[in-house]
Amino acid sequence: MISTLFKLSWVFLKIGAFTFGGGIVIIPMVQNEVVFKYGWLTQAEFVDAVTLGQVTPGPIIISATFIGYKACGILGAVVATASVILPSFVMICLATEAIKRFRENKMLANFLRGARVAVIGMVFDAAVCLGRTSLVDIKTVLIAAASIICLFKYKLNPIWVLLGAGVVGLLM
Amino acid sequence: MHIFASAADTVKTESLKLVAEAWQQAWELYNKLGDTKKAKELEKLLAALYKKKYAQVKAANGQQSTVLEWFNDWLLFLKIGCFGFGGPMAVFSLLEAELVQRKRILTHDDFLEGAVLGDVLPGPVTMDIVTYTGYKLKKWSGAANSTLFFILPSFVLMVILAILYDMYRITPKVQNVFMCLGAAVVGLVVSVAIRLARTEMKDYRELCILIWAFASSLIFNLDIVVIVGLAGVVGIVLYHKDSEKEQL
Repeated sequence: MISTLFKLSWVFLKIGAFTFGGGIVIIPMVQNEVVFKYGWLTQAEFVDAVTLGQVTPGPIIISATFIGYKACGILGAVVATASVILPSFVMICLATEAIKRFRENKMLANFLRGARVAVIGMVFDAAVCLGRTSLVDIKTVLIAAASIICLFKYKLNPIWVLLGAGVVGLLM
Repeated sequence: MHIFASAADTVKTESLKLVAEAWQQAWELYNKLGDTKKAKELEKLLAALYKKKYAQVKAANGQQSTVLEWFNDWLLFLKIGCFGFGGPMAVFSLLEAELVQRKRILTHDDFLEGAVLGDVLPGPVTMDIVTYTGYKLKKWSGAANSTLFFILPSFVLMVILAILYDMYRITPKVQNVFMCLGAAVVGLVVSVAIRLARTEMKDYRELCILIWAFASSLIFNLDIVVIVGLAGVVGIVLYHKDSEKEQL
């Protein structure tokens, strides 16, 4: 039991520290370790874990919780989730502090200036990709249009807009 | 003593409020006149001011309501954790709408930098952005707070689903319930993207980078790390002359 916990923690620390980009990119690596190397889950169970990770809120890496639970119960779920978050948590805090210190550096400032604009492009891209998968019928298109109007014209709190959409989804 | 101290604090917060209102009006005026550079400077000042006020109100309230304040802080991230559908940029939009547009504690630039860091550093981007926001608000304790409470709702939900899965060997049909939420998230992301583009676009060079980033990720499926990194390098080359001019 203890050794499984250590292995779980090691695997997810690795995944948290060495995967770039977000979302789907990490899935093959996780599959390799969890299904083929340690056999904590079967292939079918792994697919279900990823599906659940996608439909629930939060990042897709939350499937680590599911995998941890399957391998070692509640304790495993806690260990896996904490391990996968820890590396990026530490790195982000250190990097934010470093940026603050080197803000005077012209190279870094110009790098950030260019990269910031690219991020806006990525937000547009996310809108298109999300739209492709989520806008499947008239109902969803109407909801998207209504939420744009609410956010732009009436400047509603986005949480309320999302909550409203959830209620509509429950009722229909 | 105590009465004096609290009185001074209220005066301070009062004057801060006045200054904030004046600056807010000036900011709107500048925006109307189209002087984006001045407006941006003011926006930064305002963010600093609001942050100060945020800290001061907290200090002034003292011990009696620290529990409440703490509760407010983590409630925000808990809320966003409950609605964090649709990947990193959706969470980004949600946080942006809440902290930049409503509370004005951070600026657009702060936020975009967080996203840059999240894309360039390893680890899940969503978590990176959330941790960054927490760190910006209150250093390490803020980062720990935001990360913990952001992940909590999805963690609990996932454990419940895993237990159900183990007992019945089925995946419950959560997908149907979350479909409509997905549609609303699309609307949210679109509105934040347009708003960001409006405030950040200064000239044609930036428009070019934006269109290039958009196209290369959509059509050529380039990795986020590559796109953001390349745009940064382009930024170093493009703005090199600008910064030299400023120095002269």
